[in-house]
Order: sequence, then structure tokens, then C-alpha cells
Amino acid sequence: MNVATQPPVIELDNLVVKLGDRLILKKLTGSFSGRAVGLLGPNGAGKSTLINTLLGFHKPFSGTARVFGHDVRTHARQVRSLIGYMPENDSFIADMPGIRFVRMMAELSGLPPAEALERSHEAFFFTGLGEVRYRNIGTYSLGMKQMAKLAQAIAHGPRLLFLDEPTNGLDPPARLRMLQLIKEIRDRGDLHIIISSHLLRDVEECCDEVLILKNGNIAASCNLEAERRANRNFLEIETRGADESFVAHIEQLGCRAAWGGNGRIKLVMPEGLEVRRIYQLASDRSVQIRRLNRKRDSLEDIFLKAMEEPANGSV
Amino acid sequence: MAVYKKTYRSYEGRMTPEWSRFFVLTRYAWEDLRRRRFFTIFFLGTMTWPIICALGIYIRHNLSALELMGIRAASMVKIDSSFFLAFLGVQCMFAFFLNSFVGPGLVSPDLANNALPLYLSRPFSRTEYVLGRMSMLLILLSLMTWIPGEFLFGLQSYLEGWDWFKANVGLAWGLFAGSGVWIVFLALLSLSVSAWVKWKPVAGGLLFGLFFVAAGFGQAINAVLRTKWGNLINISNLVGSIWVSLFNKPLESGSGAVFFRIARGEEIPVWMCWVSLGLICLFCLWLLGRKIRGVEVSR
Amino acid sequence: MNADLIVFDNVSRFYGDVLGVNNVNLSVPPGITSLVGPNGAGKTTLMNLMTGLIRPTRGNISVLGVRPNQPDELFRLVGYCTQFDTFPKGMTGFDFVKSFLLIHGFDDLDAERRAWESIDRVNMRDAANRRLAAYSKGMRQRMKLAQALSHSPRVLVLDEPLNGLDPMARAETIALFEALGAQGVHVIVSSHILHEVDRISDQVILLSQGYVVAEGAIESVRGEVKDHPIQIVLRCDNPRAVAARLFEDDNIVEVGIHKDRQGLLIRTLDVDAMYLLLNRIILEVGIEVESVAPADEDVNSVYQYLIGAEGATV
Repeated sequence: MNVATQPPVIELDNLVVKLGDRLILKKLTGSFSGRAVGLLGPNGAGKSTLINTLLGFHKPFSGTARVFGHDVRTHARQVRSLIGYMPENDSFIADMPGIRFVRMMAELSGLPPAEALERSHEAFFFTGLGEVRYRNIGTYSLGMKQMAKLAQAIAHGPRLLFLDEPTNGLDPPARLRMLQLIKEIRDRGDLHIIISSHLLRDVEECCDEVLILKNGNIAASCNLEAERRANRNFLEIETRGADESFVAHIEQLGCRAAWGGNGRIKLVMPEGLEVRRIYQLASDRSVQIRRLNRKRDSLEDIFLKAMEEPANGSV
Repeated sequence: MAVYKKTYRSYEGRMTPEWSRFFVLTRYAWEDLRRRRFFTIFFLGTMTWPIICALGIYIRHNLSALELMGIRAASMVKIDSSFFLAFLGVQCMFAFFLNSFVGPGLVSPDLANNALPLYLSRPFSRTEYVLGRMSMLLILLSLMTWIPGEFLFGLQSYLEGWDWFKANVGLAWGLFAGSGVWIVFLALLSLSVSAWVKWKPVAGGLLFGLFFVAAGFGQAINAVLRTKWGNLINISNLVGSIWVSLFNKPLESGSGAVFFRIARGEEIPVWMCWVSLGLICLFCLWLLGRKIRGVEVSR
Repeated sequence: MNADLIVFDNVSRFYGDVLGVNNVNLSVPPGITSLVGPNGAGKTTLMNLMTGLIRPTRGNISVLGVRPNQPDELFRLVGYCTQFDTFPKGMTGFDFVKSFLLIHGFDDLDAERRAWESIDRVNMRDAANRRLAAYSKGMRQRMKLAQALSHSPRVLVLDEPLNGLDPMARAETIALFEALGAQGVHVIVSSHILHEVDRISDQVILLSQGYVVAEGAIESVRGEVKDHPIQIVLRCDNPRAVAARLFEDDNIVEVGIHKDRQGLLIRTLDVDAMYLLLNRIILEVGIEVESVAPADEDVNSVYQYLIGAEGATV
């Protein structure tokens, strides 16, 4: 399949959305085709409104939004047949067993009953819910409900998944599992994901593109893959047995270095200097280098920078 | 040999036709309902009256049986519009009870547990949702009202002959239309009440309350203002009047249907009854439109 | 000494037959202490015990010297921010904070002043006069925090306080906790986000199925988990040469290719010696190091070792 002929997953063109009289999304423009796109932003920035608009729950006031080339305003039904949605809030039908619930949702999405049953079981297997699937959802723990929400979002085989705070309330093993599932889905390539989350680490781990909203505008949009490959001359090391004089010696090699306290040192290496020289220095002084990372702009830095700058509408 | 890894796979198979999807809701609701024992018992219980009526029709035609019981044919109840109106009255009352029992459970839980976004994020519209839920009620209530009614009509026609049938076809229509008005009204009312009141028992109670309170209110208005227009909100009155007109009888003769009495001397023109009911239905639709949404917009 | 500690002495709490916590012995110093564990492990029970909302079935609790049978003093000392997102109807944010201060016994003027101070600390001044029902989840969370802080408690118990907060608010709230910790307040935070716990906590308490499985500063806890040798991840341009040299050393327990196939996973019994050895190997073999990092000196790994996948969704 030729990538160039595929329409982008999400395409926004001067999208304006109003709720009542309030202007929420202000002329958003951009195009996203990544396998997993992270949607970030402070509370009130318009993330939920954007998702709800793409789902067709809000009509755009002006401008267009397209999902896989279909206009959300005129072809909402087509759009909805291609997506799966995992809402942030509790969403379920209390007196039904989990498997029946997912099956009904799959049938509502157009699957014939037999296939719906098969795929519901597959979805439950994929999310790791075993015997639990035969119990009423009302009795599920929070983690199970989250997994059930994920199961109903994927059972009908969508092409785009909207995950709104997928790790909300999950305890550490469940969080790990959810993130693993997301990465598995992402790595398949035929199902794109949009994740809206407040946890930058999660987004960093799972997404290759990021869209940051602020006050209804796009504050930043970047490709994390590209970021990761850049910035190779910044180092962060954690030492034991070193002190500030060590830093002075590093600077003598031509680096710019800063002592961060507790053995932490940040440094910028000049062109051509190898890390081995730092190790030589450490060896000569019996200093342990316990940690060494190439620092690149982490998502946190990108996010904080985006929050400081005034935002405009386009990428 | 091969090792298969179970993982997510996309769906490339057959899809069901779009117009039929609302029926999925009906099917599932029906299956859920069947599991509740109380419902099954109640539903079967409502078939008692039609069976009794059927027996009545049969006995009336079976002279030998009559002689056996020592009753003269002429003194037995005549099978005419009054008979069917009475039948309708009883069955529609049972329908009211069943509706209060079943109706709230259809929409309230979805709203209480925020399931609407899940429905509406699919190629599934609000109209289809309401249609799916309503169909459940329409089918159920039909099974209690005009379907046994037409069966009784059919039985009578069979026993009386073709001429009777031709002369009384209007009765079949009256049964169907009269029931139809009532069940559509009930369905809309219970769906909209359960959309606004999230707790099932309260929604059921509210439905009951609406009828009796409205009736009481209507009578109070009549008494205080010395008028008859209070009857416009007396729902049983309205429906009774409409039935009588559908059976082509003058209003003054009264409906004869228990629970759906028309107040003597205070009859309201039939077209106003239609308008009044119609307005209530439109109001219910508006209520539904406000509440059945993918996302609540708070102003 | 006790006046500075929260002490649990053989505390157990049962709800009928159901276990809340069993045989808990803790001594919590000032600073930021994190409570970590799966859902149902007993974190909320522990917090309710600490704030005096429930009494232990057995054992003694003493919060900075005050026992739970002195509720007047205890409730002045302690501020509690629960995980539940419910509020009295019809109140504004400011009313919410001020009304509790009035209950505490502050007079009207004092209560107002403290309420505004507290609201400013969580950056909610602009929204304070709007109704709570109109707030977003994150805003309600911050208002709850303001309420818990408003009477200047010396012990602050917070149940998942960062839930629903966007990254900026998270960073601000964490800074607030660090400031409070530095002032000598006991900040007890329960959280599932382990990398945040790592960053902010002075000590951690790990709970599992009603028992305290570990407590203390994370490095010392890690050091004490003896049946798991320390792991280090090394990324470089010639892992095999490094591996060959490492195998020559006695202290190295295991060297493996990292599961992402781009580095070495080294397990050793003597961490200090290993780092010095690594230094030497890097220089002698002449490799270019991409990164070096301890693989498991964090809460996440300790959690995996001590609690593992129990309590995961079925």
C-alpha cells in the first residue's frame, strides 16, 4: 500500500468549535498520520471537545475536520464506523455480563451475531479478562471496567482508537498491562491510536506524534521519533565519589558542565569529544559513573516550553 | 507445526444492513426481560382476561352449552363495540402497569452509567436508539392489547359469519387504532420519564403518579373554575374519548371502558383530545432529545 | 522523639471477617512518604486509621504523640484529602474551604484569611467563587487539597491527590508537597504512578493484601531485597566484548542481552566494584558508551519484586 495515497488519519483545517456561546476550539489546523498520536494539554484546553467533535457529538462552527478523509460534519456516520472509543468516565451497562455487553456493542457496530460473539471473546482474551467476562459489569473492579471499555472499543475492528485517560485509576500492574496492550496495538500498524492523557510518561512511551493544546489553540505539535534521534551531545551522568572539582576537570576537556547536586552532572560535549574521555577522567579519580544518558528534549521539556509560549492555531 | 499467537486482528467480514441495527437493542432488551420471572408471570397473567372473553364469545355461540348452564342467549352480553371497549379498557390498564415496570429499565440504566457515548460513537443515531427502545415496548404492549383483541374479533367473525364481519369491520379498526394510540403514548411517556429520572423505582413511581395526579388535578380545576377544560389533562378521559370516536360512537354514550371513563356531561370535542395528546407526545420527544446525547453540554 | 513521628504499633483492622490491615508496625518521620500497593491492599484503611476516622481492632496508633481517643487534638493536627469526588451541593469553592475552617473553630475573619491563603497556594483564586459543580475534575481535586491544607495541619494525608491533574498542575502540586515536606510536615501520599513516587518521596511504604511489605527510603529498601541482585543496563557499541570481560569477574552473577536487543543487562552482587570494573573495561576495550543506568533501583522494580502481579486484573 502506497503511503502517499492514504489520507491522513486526522486532518484539521481552521476548525472552530463553539459550545453554547463559548469559543472552545479556535481555528485548529494540522494533519496527523502517526501510529499513535498523543493529545496533551491543561484542563480546559479543549482536548475533550476535540475528541467529541471528531466523534461527531459536536458540530464544527466553521472549518473542517476529517478522519481518514471523511468530513466529520457531513459524513459522521462513516467516521463512526471506522472508530472505537474508550471514554474517560465510567461507561457501562450494569446488569449485563461483560461478554454480552461487548457483544451487543459489536452488533450495534454492524457485526453479525455469530462474528460479534467470536470477536468479543477475542477482545476479552486480548485484554486479559478471563472468567470475569461472565460476571455482571456492575460487579467489576475499576481495572476490570477499564479493560472492558477497551474490549468494546476494539471488538468491531476499528481503524482508529480514541483512548481517553486509559490508565486512569489503574494500579501499577494494571497500568503496565494497559500500556503494553497499547504498544502492541500500535506496533501492528493497521490500527491508529489517539491517546489523551495527563501522564506525560505514558504518552512518551506509547506515542510517536504529539499534539499539545492550550486555550483552544495548538501550542505545539511534534514528532517524538525525530526528537529522539536528535540531541546526542547532551549528557546527564550520576556519579558516586565525585565532587565539584570533577566538574572542573570535565570542563577542561572542553565541555560545558553543571553540578546538579547529589552526584548529578549535566554536560554538553563539544564536537569530536568521545565519552571515553569522561570515563578516563573518572577512572583516574576512582569515580563511579552510575548512570549515563543522552539527554534529549523529553516530552516534559517540550510540554513546559509549549505552555510558556503564546499559542497560535497551526502546526 | 506452528505456534499461534492470539492477538488483535482487524475485521474484514460481512456487515449487517444499517437499517436493521436498531433492532439489536430490541432483541437484547427482550432477552433480558424474559429472564425476569416476575415479568413472565405478569405477562402470562394478562392473558387471563382475553381468554375469559374468548370463552364468553364461544359460549354465546354454543347454544347447547348455554342451555346446559340454563342461561338464555338474549340475556348474555352482546358482542359489539361496548364489549370490545370493555376488553380494551382492561387490557390497556394492564399495559399501563407493565409499561411502568418495564419502561424505566430501558433508558435509566444507560443514562445512570453513562453508556450513551458508547452507543453514539458507533454508526448509530439517537433516533435509532429511541426506536430500538420503543420497539421493545411497542411489541410487548401490542401483544397485550390489539393482538389478542383482533384474535377475539376473528373468533367472533368466524362464529358469526361473513355478513357480521362485513358489518363490523370498524370494530377491528377501532381495536387496532385505539390500542395504537395508547401504546405509542405510553411508550413515549415512559422513555422520556426514564431519560430524566435516573433511578428506576422513582421513574416507575413517577409514571403512576403522572396519571393519578393529572386526573386529580383536572378534576380540581373543573371544580374550582367550574369548567370542563380541566379534563384536557385528565389522560384517561382523553384516551377514552378518542377510543369512543374511533369506534364511531357518540361521546355521550360513554366509553364503558373501566379506568377510561369519560366524564358525563363534561365531554370535550374529540379533536381537542387528539391535540392534547399530541402535544404531550411532542413534549416527550423534546425531553428525549435533550437527554439522549453523546455528551452533556453544561452551560 | 515520638512527637515527631506517626507510630503504628502492631495495628490490625478488620471489617467483620474482611481484612483491612494486619500487624502493621510503622514509624513515619516528617517529609514525603508514599503509600504504594495494588487496589484493595489496605492503603485507604491505613489512611483512615491515621486520620482517626476508624479505630484499630488491635494495636495502638500515635500521631505526633496524639492518640485517636483525643479527637479534638487529632483532627486539628491532621488534614485529609480523600479520593472521592463528592461535594456538598450548591457550594462555591471558597464556601467549601471556609465552612470547614469555621467548623474548626476559627472566627470569621481568620477563616476567610486562611481560606484565601490556602486557595492561593493551589492557584485556584480565579475560580474560587464559582460553584463546585461547574469545576473540572482537576479543579475539584485542587480545591479538596486547599481544604485539607487550610487549617495548617502538621500531617497531611492525601489519597491519589494528582488524579485528574494536567501536567502543569501536577508539577505545581508536587512542588507544593516538596515545600511542605521541607517545612517538616508529614505528607502521606498514596499513588499508582510509580515514577512520580520515585521522584518525590523521601520514603515509601509498600502494601500488599493488608500487610506492609516494605518501608523506608527506596535505595535502602532495594539494597535489602537480597534475592534479586542489582541490575544495570548498559548500551554501547560493542556489547559482546564487554560481556566477555565481565564474565571474568567473580562478582558478576549474570550478563544478558537486554530484551530490546540493544544493550546488556548486568546482574551483580557488588555494585560499587562493578562500576569501577566497568570504567576500566570501557577504557581498555575502547568502546563508545551510549548510556548506563541502574535497571531496578526504583519503586517500580521493588514493586515487581515484592508485590509482583498479584492483584492484577483477572
